[in-house]
Amino acid sequence: MSRNGVLELEIRNVVKNFGGLQALKGVSLTIRGSQLVGLIGPNGAGKTTLTNIITGLLKPTSGEVWFNGERIDTLRPYHIARRGIGRTFQVTRAFRRMTVLENMLTPGIVKHPYMSRAELEKKAMEIMKFLTIDHLRFERAGSLSGGQQKLLELARLLMLDPDLIILDEPFAGVHPKLQRTIYNYIKRVREQGKAIILISHDMESIFTLSERLVVLNFGEIIADGPPEEVKNDPAVIEAYLGRDEEEEEDLRQAY
Amino acid sequence: MEWLIAEACGSFPYLLRLILEGLLIGVIYSLMALGLTLIFSVLNIVSFSHGEFYMIGGYVVYTVLHHFKQVPGLVAVFLAAVVTFLIGAVFERLFLQPMAKGQVDRPNEYAILVTFGLAFVLQFVMLGLMGPFPKKVPRFFSFPEIDLGFLRTTRTTLFLGKIPLPGSRIFAAIIALIALGAMLYFMYRTWTGWALQAVSQDRNAAAVVGINPLNMNTLAFALGGMLAGLAGAVLVSVFSWVPWVGVPASAKSFVIIVLGGMGSIPGSLVGGLILGVVESLGTGCWPNPATAQAYRDVFGLVIFALVLLVKPTGLFGRKL
Repeated sequence: MSRNGVLELEIRNVVKNFGGLQALKGVSLTIRGSQLVGLIGPNGAGKTTLTNIITGLLKPTSGEVWFNGERIDTLRPYHIARRGIGRTFQVTRAFRRMTVLENMLTPGIVKHPYMSRAELEKKAMEIMKFLTIDHLRFERAGSLSGGQQKLLELARLLMLDPDLIILDEPFAGVHPKLQRTIYNYIKRVREQGKAIILISHDMESIFTLSERLVVLNFGEIIADGPPEEVKNDPAVIEAYLGRDEEEEEDLRQAY
Repeated sequence: MEWLIAEACGSFPYLLRLILEGLLIGVIYSLMALGLTLIFSVLNIVSFSHGEFYMIGGYVVYTVLHHFKQVPGLVAVFLAAVVTFLIGAVFERLFLQPMAKGQVDRPNEYAILVTFGLAFVLQFVMLGLMGPFPKKVPRFFSFPEIDLGFLRTTRTTLFLGKIPLPGSRIFAAIIALIALGAMLYFMYRTWTGWALQAVSQDRNAAAVVGINPLNMNTLAFALGGMLAGLAGAVLVSVFSWVPWVGVPASAKSFVIIVLGGMGSIPGSLVGGLILGVVESLGTGCWPNPATAQAYRDVFGLVIFALVLLVKPTGLFGRKL
C-alpha cells in the first residue's frame, strides 16, 4: 500500500514501440483504492501490452509506471510480483508438468518464506476448495481441462496475496459452469479489498462487474469512466462497439 | 540361445559381466547427462564446457589426495563437487547472465561461443597447472573381505558367483547413485526444485509468481557443472586423467541427452544406462579383442543414429 494506506497504480504517459509499430501511444491511467477496472478494446488495441508493462514482462519505450509510491517499470517481473501485483495470462500458463498442489505451493513459499509447509498447504487447500479444484490437487496441471487450468491459475495467483490483480480474459474458452465459479471468485476477491483490472471480451460480465471502464483503441485511451457513461460514448461506439453489430447488441442486452 | 551367446560373446557369465559393468559405468554417464539436461532445460542452452567440469572434478580429487594423503577419498569427492559448483555459478553470473538479461544480440550463438571458450580456458589452465602427462589416483576404496558363498569380496574386487566386478567402479557407481537420488529428491520434493521446474516450463509465468529466473539459471548451471564434476571425481580412480579427458565424456553426454530426449530427466537416466551397456557389450563381444577398445564410442553412436532414425525426439522426448 502507499504511504496513506491506499493502493495506487499510476501509469504515466507510457509509450511502447515494437520496431515501427507503436502499440501504446502515451497511455496515462491512475487506479486508486480497491476498484474493479474493466479494460476493453478491439484486438490489437494494446491491452496485453499494457498488462505486460505493468507486470514487468515488457519495458516501456518511454513513460513510467508507479505502484504504491514506487517506480516499478525499472523492476523485474518477480520484484513486481513480490510487491503485490499478480496476473493471469490470456492463454493459460500453469506449470503443466507439476501437480496442482505444487503449482500452488511454489508461489506460496516465495511470498511466505517463513510459513510452514502445513500452513501453506492449508492456505492452498482453502483457495482450491473455493475454486472447486481441491480434488485435483495431486493431478498434473497439464492433464486438467482448459477451464480447470484457468481456475488453477487464478488460485495460484491468490497464493501471492496480491493487492492488485490483472485478469486477462478469464472467461475465454471456459465452460459456463466454470465461468460462474470465476465470476464468484472475482466478487470474493473484490470483497477482500483487492483492486482488479479485468480484461475481457465478455461484455455482459465486464459491464456487470466493473465499476470503471477504460477503453483502449490503437494504443490510446479513448474513454475512461463509469460503464454506463462509456457505453454511450460516441468514440467508443464508433471505434470499438460500433464495428460489430452483434457485440453492440450484446452490450445493450447487458443492461 | 546359449549357442548364440557363446558365438557372440563367449559365455553367459561373461555376457552378464559385460552387462553389469555397462550398468556400473552407465550410472555415471547418467549423472553427467543429468547435469547437461538440467542446464538445457532451465537455461535453454547446450553447454559445450560440460566435459571440462568432469575433468576439473577429477583433478580436484587428484590434487587433494596427492598433497594431503590422509584426507579420505569421500572428502576429496565432496570438495570436487564444491569447486565445480562454484566455477559454474561464477561463470554463469559473469558470462551467461548478460544473455538472460537480453543484453546480447544473438543469444544462441553467444551461448555456444562462450561455453566453448570456457572449455578451452579450463583445458589449457589445467594443462598449464597439471602438465600433459596422465595422472592416476590410487584406489580410495577397499572392500572388507567377505565370503558369503555366491557373494565374495577381496580388497579390490566383488565376485557375484564367478563374475568379478572391480571395486573402484562399484564405488563410483554407488556415489553416482546417491548423487542421482539426492538430485531427484531435490528436483521433485523441494521448493527450489519446483522453482527450477517452473522456470524450465515457463520462464515468464514463473517470474510473475515471484520466482527469480536469473537465480535459477545460476543454480541450474552450477548444479549441472557439479554433477559433471562429481562424475569426474568418482572416475578419476578408474581412468588415467589428462586435461582433455572431458572431450569424449562430453560427447557421450550429448549422445545420451539426444538418445533420452532433450531436456528429459528420465531420458538422461535411461539413456546413460543404455549407452553404458551398449558400449560394454559392443566392446566385449567385438570379434577382435585387439581393436575392440578403439571402437568403443562407435557402438553408442550407432544406437544414437538408430534412435534418431526411429524416434527423432529421443526415447522420452519432452522437457522436464
